[in-house]
Amino acid sequence: MARKSKRTHLVAGELNLTAMIDIAFQLLSFFLMTMKPVDVMALMDVSRPAPDSRAPAKALNVLTITILADEKQPFALNDRVIRIEDLDMMLCKAGELNPDQNVIVACMQKSLHSRLIDALDLCAKAKLTKLSVVSLM
Amino acid sequence: MRAAKEEAPMSGNLTAMIDVVFQLIIFFVVTTNMQNTVDQRIKLAIAPHGQSISDKPKDPREIKIDLDEKGNIYIAKSSLTPSILTSIVRKAVSEYGVDVPIVIRADGNAQHSAVQTTMNAVTASGIYKIKFAVLKESGSKGKEKGK
Repeated sequence: MARKSKRTHLVAGELNLTAMIDIAFQLLSFFLMTMKPVDVMALMDVSRPAPDSRAPAKALNVLTITILADEKQPFALNDRVIRIEDLDMMLCKAGELNPDQNVIVACMQKSLHSRLIDALDLCAKAKLTKLSVVSLM
Repeated sequence: MRAAKEEAPMSGNLTAMIDVVFQLIIFFVVTTNMQNTVDQRIKLAIAPHGQSISDKPKDPREIKIDLDEKGNIYIAKSSLTPSILTSIVRKAVSEYGVDVPIVIRADGNAQHSAVQTTMNAVTASGIYKIKFAVLKESGSKGKEKGK
């Protein structure tokens, strides 16, 4: 009896990747949608006057920036109400003349903290580093 | 006589695309920070000229005090009274000295009276150097308050 020879045919294996690609894209879209850019933080150094310090502002020739409670005119320089652009210019001039210039930032009780930060930012821009924060009654 | 047309199924090579997709997924998995370390109740004021935190090495003694818009004081998301804050800072001063870095993270819309209360609680411990945390650059444009 003749014997039939059986040939085995190797078929290329196929893997269904549809589900995996689906999940991969789901993950990708999730991360893309939930990604939030990082906030860059900074610090502003200030000093508080010691309770026993008696430093009359005019005698020491310091600049005094007052933060007012009025949101339309929130700044005053040496008791004169001033626009933020003019305050910026004056501080830049002061910083060029004397980087060691003492600056006192006096805040009214109801003034916003963001206005104090604005004033400190202008001082940092003018390279003025000797900053003190006092609170007005 | 009809010629038999054999239509071969269309197939594209997806290898490169899958490769890129997995690279992107790995990137996002590695860079995503699931833990929210910043208190979302506080919207810091913006100061583009402030000294960036990354410029300085971090001091492990640093005490971060959060102050929300209503004037509530927190350390590590725990609410505190000014007197408790003073006792915490005093304890830190007794252990590490008066050069303990104090960072106040105050909401831009908080009134100065609340900031003053916090600063007074700190200065009562003998620390007169204070740092205000601000946003140098906001990652989420248009979300910031106090400007």
